[in-house]
Amino acid sequence: MADGQFVIIDGNELSFEEGETLLQVAARADIEIPTLCYDERLSPAGACRMCLVEVEGSRLMQPACSFKATGGMVVRTQTPKVERNRRFLLSLHMADTEQDRERAEDANPSRIFDLADVHGTAGCFPKVEQKRSGRPQDVNKFIEFRPERCINCSLCTRYCEQIEAVSAITLAGRGAETTISTADAKSLTDTTCELCGGCVAVCPTGAMTEKPALAYGKPEKELEKIRTTCNFCGVGCQLDLNVDREANRIVKATSPPPGTTVNDGSLCVKGRFANDFVHHEERLTSPLIRQEDGSFREASWDEALDRVVSGLQGIADRHGEDALAFISSSRCTGEENYLFQKLSRAAFRTHNVHQCAAT
Amino acid sequence: MTNSIPEIRDADFLFVTGSNTTEAHPIIAMEMKRAVARGAKLAVSDPRAIWLTEIADWHMQLKPGSDVWLLNAMAHVIVTEGLEDREFIERATENFDSVRETVLRYPPEEAEKHTGVPAEMIREVARAYAGTKKAGIYYTLGITEHTTGTDNVYALSNLVLMTGHLGVRSAGMNPLRGQNNVQGANDAGATPVFYPGYQSASDPDVRDKFSKAWGVEQSSNPGLNLNQMMKVLGTDLKGLYLMGEDIVISEPNVGRVEEALNHMELVVVQDIFFNESCRFADVILPAACYAEKDGVFTNSDRRVQRVRKAVDPPGNARADWQILKEIMDRSGLEQPDYQHPAEIYAEMASLAPKFSGISHERLNADPKGLQWPVETPDAPSTEYLHKNGVARGKGLFQAVDYRPPFESADPEYPLVLSTGRTLYHYNAATQTRRSEGLSGKQPECFVEVHPRDARRLGIEDGQMADVVTRRGRVRSRVMVSRQVRRGAIWMPFHFPDTKTNALTTDAGDAVTGTGEYKVCAARLEPRTEEQPEQVFPGAYAAIRV
Ligand code: SF4
Ligand code: SF4
Ligand code: FES
Repeated sequence: MADGQFVIIDGNELSFEEGETLLQVAARADIEIPTLCYDERLSPAGACRMCLVEVEGSRLMQPACSFKATGGMVVRTQTPKVERNRRFLLSLHMADTEQDRERAEDANPSRIFDLADVHGTAGCFPKVEQKRSGRPQDVNKFIEFRPERCINCSLCTRYCEQIEAVSAITLAGRGAETTISTADAKSLTDTTCELCGGCVAVCPTGAMTEKPALAYGKPEKELEKIRTTCNFCGVGCQLDLNVDREANRIVKATSPPPGTTVNDGSLCVKGRFANDFVHHEERLTSPLIRQEDGSFREASWDEALDRVVSGLQGIADRHGEDALAFISSSRCTGEENYLFQKLSRAAFRTHNVHQCAAT
Repeated sequence: MTNSIPEIRDADFLFVTGSNTTEAHPIIAMEMKRAVARGAKLAVSDPRAIWLTEIADWHMQLKPGSDVWLLNAMAHVIVTEGLEDREFIERATENFDSVRETVLRYPPEEAEKHTGVPAEMIREVARAYAGTKKAGIYYTLGITEHTTGTDNVYALSNLVLMTGHLGVRSAGMNPLRGQNNVQGANDAGATPVFYPGYQSASDPDVRDKFSKAWGVEQSSNPGLNLNQMMKVLGTDLKGLYLMGEDIVISEPNVGRVEEALNHMELVVVQDIFFNESCRFADVILPAACYAEKDGVFTNSDRRVQRVRKAVDPPGNARADWQILKEIMDRSGLEQPDYQHPAEIYAEMASLAPKFSGISHERLNADPKGLQWPVETPDAPSTEYLHKNGVARGKGLFQAVDYRPPFESADPEYPLVLSTGRTLYHYNAATQTRRSEGLSGKQPECFVEVHPRDARRLGIEDGQMADVVTRRGRVRSRVMVSRQVRRGAIWMPFHFPDTKTNALTTDAGDAVTGTGEYKVCAARLEPRTEEQPEQVFPGAYAAIRV
């Protein structure tokens, strides 16, 4: 802390560190300033103007997300002028994207409407004519860009550049035609894109969205989120499986908010998109027992389990327990691995138990 | 990992060795990218020009299997230039002198001949590593999947110990676990040498404790590790129970494994799909996948986190824990009437002091999970290990000398084949292959060949070729790429139509039993007959970027 350095935000005297923005200082004191283009992990873009606040001595309002605190600064975040700007911007964004909430949230939730719930709007503005182009020919199977919902906040392109560090997408075009595109409007699969879906996760409007979930057709708000741990690599990312309860179906996976879990708001392509195996038609659904002729037939659990137990016991009797081997998997849970080695060591008295991956 | 994933972003020096982090651990790689963006220095040692080398300050593109030469030469620089942390060595370690003597025989100039890495670069990296406080080492299968895997790990840990990079935030020795719950399966005792919580199976007192807890006298016969099991399959071993593991695609020298499986009296496969091993099964038990059951996974940084049931399993499939309980009951070892895996965890925690402070209840309350050791119900996570000195008394230096890989290139097999994984698939790919979008991005196997080697052999990009080793022959598409060194080729092992592991050797590390997937001698034979159409031509262009 810079000694004796304070700003006054809404009457609260708050200390700050050199280089901190007003937004950061306010957040620490639980003073909420609405934002649309800000993400704590990214450099601020100052693009949406949602975070404008009044700073004493400055004629224009200033963006809290990028305006640095200096000693003695007096800031107001809830004046009529500030609130007017918020309502105006929200109406404008709606006119520019989607004015009907249900349509706006057909897939992902919309931060515009969430903010409107809190701050209200300036009424319904005439619809703005759309000039942004999309990439309908993009053959990738995971990520859809809907240009009519883009507010050019650049969260997706900044995420792609600063966190995923591949810069597959950029702001392209000028003025009202500014859109999100790839080099030469290629398919994402033909670019450096790693299909991480981070651009979807940060998008405040659902302009970037998941193709499979879009095709499924149920809005995210109607899905139940179950927090779990990814089952692929050893990072242990936390993710929310978005479940359609009635259909017993995982519709998609989303990442928990930044700062809350080990993966800090990110997922990789497998964690976010490779869940379709769960409902694959080739899943095993019944115990199978091999017949004399070598083919398998379906069996009841009772029969299959008895077969396993008598088979294992027979071998233990004939050849000794160390003629058995138990190989488990890091794909199973800790509890299951515990029971598995207990099965080997206690039920069959052998230490011949190992998991498949030694690293 | 001695340290934690979130600490990586604050590191000042990263030494990434034998880890294609952006593809195998994308989210850890993100933290590395952040550290580099902040100004951290990055040294990569890898035979391939992996993505991270694009942002690295140094790429030590060593010959496959020459790691001990490289690491000992770094240690040589440190001890000859007096860069070691004397105070730490004195206070917290043992046996430094033997390492000192050994590494004196590994001068960088000699190392250059064996590794292909310029001596000057070895010096620079060694100095930077020794001279930076927050300097962490990150490694994975590129270090361990060798016959000298244990040696490689010792050579790395010697570097860590002599520079005192232990018990320090953002430093340490960090193996990145390849799979979601490798750490957790080890923790739970799914290894022949340890009971849950790393209690030695060769210690009579420990066996006594478990004899009492489980009410069954514990065997004093040592168990077999995976590699040893594979060698006596069908001879000493007559019965095999596979839970969630497809040995026919993931074990090296698959031809021999398949042959041996035919001689088993009983093979039980418990899995979610009809995998390759099912072809040899007598009984197949349908299991629930991770989204259909409760429990915990433990990730690379010892973080225990909850797995939660989101949907019901299909048909009659059941969670593995339910199946295992039934089997034990029927084998005459009546189990408690577990209603939920929380109770199983509690049983394990009561027997393993490292986890005794962990419970589902605590995990449910903390979205960041708990990093063991956590020994009491109110003890916090252990973010990094060895904070108060090295665990188990003193850090033991282990001098290691270079030993060549099991196979080297020769006139008949002039290339060195390494295998690995890609971003878009996962191990046997039973899950990822069933994703349309992932298969679209990477539909089939490929073998990376250096342009010079390709030209010499008259092979073109995209052409089919046979990869041949002493053990087998598989056909694959060729991808001409500068990612590999001259004389080296590289293949992923995710594709069952291209059984990469029919090629690899089952020579294993003597201690861990891990197979040498990273080095075997091979040759390439271009095929000129009809070429199957590329399923998705764009895929290659994209991988190459
Ligand atoms: S999916 Fe990831 S890599 Fe691809 S454009 Fe989006 S943020 Fe960039
Ligand atoms: S989301 Fe990707 S990086 Fe994270 S645990 Fe899953 S596979 Fe690993
Ligand atoms: S949040 Fe400050 S300008 Fe968008």
